[in-house]
Amino acid sequence: MDLLDLIDAVQSVADGVLFGTTYALLGIGFTLIFGVMHKINLSYAAASVGAAYASLLVMSVVQAPAVLVFVAAAVAGGAIGGLVYLVGFRFIPLANPLATLMSTVGLLLLIDEIIVHTTAGVPLNYPALFSDVIVQVGPFGLRGDLMFVFALGCVCMTVLLLLLYRTRLGLATRAVSQQPTASRLCGISTTQVNVLTFVITGVVGGIAGAMTGAAIGMLSPLLSLPLTVKGLIVTVIGGLGSIPGAIIAGLIVGGLENAFQFFRGVSERDLYIMLLLFAFLVFRPGGIFAKSSGRD
Amino acid sequence: MRRLHAVLAVLLAGSMLALPGSALAQERTVKITGFGAKSGVVRVFGINSEAAMKAAAEEINSKGGVTLGDGTKAKFTVDFLDDRCNAEEGISVVRRIASTDAFVAVGPTCSNVAESLFGILQKKVGDATDSGLQFPIIADVAAKGGLAKISEWAFRNVPSEFEMYKSLIAWIRKEHPDLKTMYGGVEKDFAHSNATYGVMKGQAEGAGLQVLGTSEWLLNDTTFSTQVRDMKRANADIVAISAHPFTTCGVLKEMARQGVKPKLLIGLTSSSSIETLQGCAKQAEGIIIPTSFAPVTPEAKLAAEQVAKFGGSADLHSAAAYEIMFILKDVIESQKIMAKPDTVQADRNKMRAGLAALKETKGLLGKVGRTADREAIKPYLYVHAKDGSWQVLYKPTL
Repeated sequence: MDLLDLIDAVQSVADGVLFGTTYALLGIGFTLIFGVMHKINLSYAAASVGAAYASLLVMSVVQAPAVLVFVAAAVAGGAIGGLVYLVGFRFIPLANPLATLMSTVGLLLLIDEIIVHTTAGVPLNYPALFSDVIVQVGPFGLRGDLMFVFALGCVCMTVLLLLLYRTRLGLATRAVSQQPTASRLCGISTTQVNVLTFVITGVVGGIAGAMTGAAIGMLSPLLSLPLTVKGLIVTVIGGLGSIPGAIIAGLIVGGLENAFQFFRGVSERDLYIMLLLFAFLVFRPGGIFAKSSGRD
Repeated sequence: MRRLHAVLAVLLAGSMLALPGSALAQERTVKITGFGAKSGVVRVFGINSEAAMKAAAEEINSKGGVTLGDGTKAKFTVDFLDDRCNAEEGISVVRRIASTDAFVAVGPTCSNVAESLFGILQKKVGDATDSGLQFPIIADVAAKGGLAKISEWAFRNVPSEFEMYKSLIAWIRKEHPDLKTMYGGVEKDFAHSNATYGVMKGQAEGAGLQVLGTSEWLLNDTTFSTQVRDMKRANADIVAISAHPFTTCGVLKEMARQGVKPKLLIGLTSSSSIETLQGCAKQAEGIIIPTSFAPVTPEAKLAAEQVAKFGGSADLHSAAAYEIMFILKDVIESQKIMAKPDTVQADRNKMRAGLAALKETKGLLGKVGRTADREAIKPYLYVHAKDGSWQVLYKPTL
């Protein structure tokens, strides 16, 4: 490997780590819902992409700046999150883990097909901030739009952590997550907490969808499935229910994906990511921040 | 009273003789069933094909319709079924169409469906040992080269990408002799993109261009930085991208970010569509793509307007569906197809024989030749993205 190869390899990993912020945001959504309800919401990434699509409606009405489009995506994400809870969880027997799993698979396909039918599957341009900015650090260039995504992702994570650990809502959420029966006895409405969790994760998902659209520069229904897979991988590697784990895992998966792409090519790239997932499932099933005794 | 009865009887008899005939003549319809992707990410192809078939049917009907074997006039109606771009569903859809009194079907969208579907048809006509389906299918979109060879019941009105890229590369060599090197990019997991890249690369090497390398990505990839960095390092004069609009735009945007500016850009036929311009008009500026459709003739302009009326967009794929309806009309008339429930198999045989006998058909850009292996030799031109639209760059003399 010569110097140019080395520079390209580092640059690829850096790009991947920055793009990994979108995976981290999705991972947070998956993990938060799992943390509170102990359920996997497989429609989460599709709903995030749906929210990003919905935000384009703002553009169709007025020539809105990118920031307004992102805000619209967050709002739409929250609304879709609430709807997902209502359709996929509220009236489904929660005691049966397969029931909600299947209902969210159905919702994934439904949201995907709604997007396809609304847009005919045509890719749509999505606005980005700082897309022309490249920050040069020695021989490396860091994309301004990805750095913005990274910064926004960090802000979202901080706000979420503050919400969880510094507010009454966060306290209630953690209580429902840890002791649902005891929290009900204390007068906490578990339904209300669940709805709010879905709305909040929906807002994060909307931002993730918008950031993904901004990072690629486009939206396509093709995004739903790979983002679902990446979100799940990040959630498992980060540890189900661990927000810091999801953040770190998102960045790791993003970086490794590009590294494998660089060294092994596109045909083997996903193979290694899947091997990584299996390695975690076997040797560290509790994720990155799990205690070593977590497996059994 | 008796006279009144007689008058009534005469009127009744007259109506019995005249009305049913004319009523039947007015009511005769020939349903042509199309099939293709109307859900999933390639839904737009199905929408466009359906719109094109309906637009052509309306045009034919407005001029009196089609004359059947018994001399009666019939109107075309169009039905379009969704195969989801899935081989199993495509086969199921065609078996369903073949179980009706349809004597031909138009489709599919995706090459992977066509490849599997043509495999269930009888390979050689009249082979009693082959129990394959004896049902003629004419493809409008599925673009992978040479698919009609699979069965004598399979036909295509699809442009030859081999010819188009051969011609384009030769034109580039002539017009830009200073361009010596090429770098390729390919959507590795899509049959059409992959096959066409093979054509592009082979033609480039055959024409003396040095192919410096190839970047690969997948249909639903989201980042292209590594691939474009390889492209940047190669610093080739020409970059050829064999990918559909979503990843073509993703790569073009990444190229713009990394400042990759080749002297010439070549794209995949399927990307000469409105989707590419909706996704990345600015970055696609200048890209050259060979295509078998552009609204450059009066017929093509009319077709584009009519397809738009039915909610579709005329492009090289849907234009093929439009042309097919006229081909079917000609074959129905020349083969004296009856389009009656009791003549279904005979009509299918006639349709197959009629399509196989075609040496030339009328296309929107001019005459379309037919090959012995049931493929089309379509006229084509090169378009390039300019000021947010596709404009004709050059029309080769064929």
